[in-house]
Amino acid sequence: MSAELFSLFYQFADVFAFLILSAAGLAIVFGMMGVINMAHGEFIMCGAYVTVGLVNLGVPLPIAQILATLTAGIIGMIVEYLIVRRFYKRPLDSLLATWGLSLIVTQSMLLIVGSAVRGIGTPEGSFAIGGYTFSTYRLVLFGCAVAVLAGLYIIFMKTRFGVIARATMQNAAMAKALGARTGRIYSISFGIGTALAGLCGALYAPTMTLIPTMGATFVVESFVTVVIGGANVLLGTAPAAVFLAMIRMALNAGYGQIIGQIGMLFAVILIIRVLPEGLSSVLVRRGR
Amino acid sequence: MFKLLDGPQTLGRGKIFWSCFLAVLAGALIYPLFADSYDVGNFAYFLIWIFMALGLCLMWGYGGMLSFGQTFFFGIAGYGYGVLAINMGGGTATIAALILSVVIAMIAAGILGYFMIWGGISGIFFGIVTLSATLVLAFFLGQTAGPEWHIGPARLNGFNGMKGMDPLTVGSFDIEGSALYYLMIALIVIVYVALRILVNSSVGNVIVATRENPQRAEMLGYDVRKYQLLTFVIGSGLAGLSGALYTSWGQFITPSSIGLPAAAMPIVWVAFSGRNDLTATLVGSFLLLFGFQTITVYSQQAALVLMGVLLLATVMLAPQGFVLGIGRLVVDWWSRRRRRDEAPALADAGRLQSDET
Amino acid sequence: MNSGRIVGMALLGAVLGTAVIGAAQAADPPLKVGLLEDVSGDLAFMGMPKLHGSQLAVEEINKSGGILGRQIELIHLDPQGDNARYQEFGRRLLNRDKVDVLIGGITSASREALRPIVDRTTTPYFYTNQYEGGVCDASMVSMGAVPEQQFSTLIPWMVQKFGKKVYVIAADYNFGQISAEWNRKIMKDLGGEVVGEEFIPLGVSQFAQTIQNIQKAKPDWLLTINVGAAQDSFFEQAAAANLNLPMGSSIKVMLGFEHKRFKPPALNNMHATANWFEEIDTPEANDFKKRWHAKFPDELYINDMGYNAYNALYMYKALVEKAKSTKLEDMRKVIATGDACIDAPEGKVCIDPKSQHTSHRMRLISVGPKHEVTVEKDYGTIQPYWLGEIGCDLTKKNDKDQYTPSHLPSKS
Repeated sequence: MSAELFSLFYQFADVFAFLILSAAGLAIVFGMMGVINMAHGEFIMCGAYVTVGLVNLGVPLPIAQILATLTAGIIGMIVEYLIVRRFYKRPLDSLLATWGLSLIVTQSMLLIVGSAVRGIGTPEGSFAIGGYTFSTYRLVLFGCAVAVLAGLYIIFMKTRFGVIARATMQNAAMAKALGARTGRIYSISFGIGTALAGLCGALYAPTMTLIPTMGATFVVESFVTVVIGGANVLLGTAPAAVFLAMIRMALNAGYGQIIGQIGMLFAVILIIRVLPEGLSSVLVRRGR
Repeated sequence: MFKLLDGPQTLGRGKIFWSCFLAVLAGALIYPLFADSYDVGNFAYFLIWIFMALGLCLMWGYGGMLSFGQTFFFGIAGYGYGVLAINMGGGTATIAALILSVVIAMIAAGILGYFMIWGGISGIFFGIVTLSATLVLAFFLGQTAGPEWHIGPARLNGFNGMKGMDPLTVGSFDIEGSALYYLMIALIVIVYVALRILVNSSVGNVIVATRENPQRAEMLGYDVRKYQLLTFVIGSGLAGLSGALYTSWGQFITPSSIGLPAAAMPIVWVAFSGRNDLTATLVGSFLLLFGFQTITVYSQQAALVLMGVLLLATVMLAPQGFVLGIGRLVVDWWSRRRRRDEAPALADAGRLQSDET
Repeated sequence: MNSGRIVGMALLGAVLGTAVIGAAQAADPPLKVGLLEDVSGDLAFMGMPKLHGSQLAVEEINKSGGILGRQIELIHLDPQGDNARYQEFGRRLLNRDKVDVLIGGITSASREALRPIVDRTTTPYFYTNQYEGGVCDASMVSMGAVPEQQFSTLIPWMVQKFGKKVYVIAADYNFGQISAEWNRKIMKDLGGEVVGEEFIPLGVSQFAQTIQNIQKAKPDWLLTINVGAAQDSFFEQAAAANLNLPMGSSIKVMLGFEHKRFKPPALNNMHATANWFEEIDTPEANDFKKRWHAKFPDELYINDMGYNAYNALYMYKALVEKAKSTKLEDMRKVIATGDACIDAPEGKVCIDPKSQHTSHRMRLISVGPKHEVTVEKDYGTIQPYWLGEIGCDLTKKNDKDQYTPSHLPSKS
């Protein structure tokens, strides 16, 4: 019985980690900054490729993952400076620009690196409970997801940067008038967002097949999670992920993956219909 | 009624514009006389997709509703045409199948639109709901490979796609090649002119007013929801028209015409062309479809990179869209010359400037 | 990869150049071969070897004097994995370039997209993948292996060696569903039991739940017919969770070269039946591999698709030369005699007159803990008999349909 219970928790943790890790970066870039980043999946891919590349050069996995995260963040800041900066006033156009970027990046990766990359294998081994065996690494992923949530909360709620960043997102002109260097705030926020995308790729790299279009598998889930989370990203994304993970896990277990996928999308439609402002609108109201 | 052809909501007016329009139309009409039959068929194929782009232009550019669901209705009508054409038998019945399938898509749009618009869903939420519905349809159709999934003798046939329907036929004459081309030209002209009249009519003005500020429009006494629903149904119906024509053209449709990345394509065409204007969308979508195909034929693996560069360059250099950007350059150059001649600037130049918001 | 590609293009250019010169000398126009293979997008890693195989065959045939003294001009377009592009380009090659033969397509959907277009012309079409079988169409010649060649060898062997209980993981589309149907049919005949069947939507990459379901069902072995790069993640995740079950498949190893792409021991204990895999050790195969790697030194693995694409051109050459004509009807007369054979690197292969599918020499291979491949059993030549048995006879009637065990020809 306890094996069944743990199995339930494990499945939930697995889907939850996937949703949080893939959505965290987007929550900042899209949720807070309003940039529709169609290249989100490509930053994930970047994190994964850098990780695998470094591991193949002999760098230990955790260090490779940290370096990959930083790389994605730095590339993100460069992209922000060159491209995204121009689109803060017209967010819908950022969709076209970043989509163009994602086409360029995926196809260039294919041309430069080739279509197939050798995997690196999952670390940490496995453990058994009852009749089941589990991969330890999946629990590491869950731990990372929780750590990412905590980290985001601390950065944006407890630090001076976070206060200024939130002020800038709410009213850039006012923040600027009060002396905030809004350009730099945007740049750093975007960098944090893409670094988190890179982290997602770095963490999932050992468990997945690496191809240049791998980012696409994360994109729908992450957009959906962020959107139903609603306007208050820090409060919304986590409950959205919990909610979607429960639905998905229950349907996956009972009816198979296809129903899990369709059911999750149906849930999204219904949630938005009932709460057109997203989950966080309810939480914020309750909180008051 | 035809007075409404020109108005504040559409670019291009007066004699110069309409003579250009007629010249292009005449060129299009005589094109098959001297062109290779393959190229004529290929152009007809590009025109099939334009309806979907015009529909999205109406919803997004004029109505302010970013729908990710164009391929949802494309798919409903595309599969609808297949099922109907197979069940009703070929021949002239295919015309009825075409019309019925578009009607089905519009009914579906009415239901989904009512659900969303009366639920107060707007902005990016509108996009996500339509995208979710689209993906659900694509996933669902993808797993219908088994023989138990059939409607009459028409098998849905899962990911491999449905086939075996007749192309559009009158009597025993298949509408293909240049016949299809002329049919497409006729339909495009009808739809284009009708949409111009619509957006310049009082209904169109309310649609635009709703885009600009729904509360204000509501305060002025309009039930904006009805206007939004009307826009959504027309725009989605046009996507359905594209879908039914596409199935008829290739006698084949698969779920991958519905899911991602197909669902993003109409948005790319319209955003590239300039979503604020019907003419820009018409011209731009055609150029983009033609350009993408040409790039793919001649540049092999670099094709996707070039397409990405093209899109990126367009949004960075011509924020209003490719066609409007070029149009603006031309108009600026024109008006500068006029100004030198101390003549009044073209009316269009003023409109372009005021449209920047 | 990149430099290999440039070299490849340069070589192709050289080939085309010599083709033009050769043609000028022979005063005969070159034979045009239209090729549609995805070298961008999700399927690029499978499409690339197919393009290479075709290029290698064209180069060799042109060097040795062409077909009926005519050189070959290869026209390749890249549909980018998009079915609509397959249709556009299919029409372009057939109507505008007026190719003499059309080759290509990766997914079954792309083949089905092409067939209605090909069927309205008199151009032959070669499909070079192994697939779920059942297409009965006079315009199409299938070069790859089909379920009766792969499953009726693999499944009895797995049952005998590992036990009667199987769990199936299949991609949720036609290939996976029809393959699962085959498995059910064969397992029933063997008195085995299918303890679970799970259909996975394309693009899904997370398998924790699936792994748990398998452990709950306690099968003796797994049939893995999951498809695509995302679904291949199953192997890594199953290995990480220490699932440790024997696996059988009709598409792993020789097609997706998972044993080269994943870190050992993810593919340990995988078994597959194949007409080709790079580890085949015969003089003909070794010679073929040497020529391939000389031309494409960066190739990670010569998979069966690339190999079949290579064979397709030689089969076309044989058909044209025996028929002394490039017309489909004349070539089909040769096929009808049952004498349409070539000596391929795997051994002799022939086209079956009734179904226009190819006989293959099938071998059962297994993957070890270090991902070394060993041949467990050689079945010799196996005919693609199923279509003929259920009543498809292209020498008499052109059905233009695709049949499955649950969708058989109507008895009329």
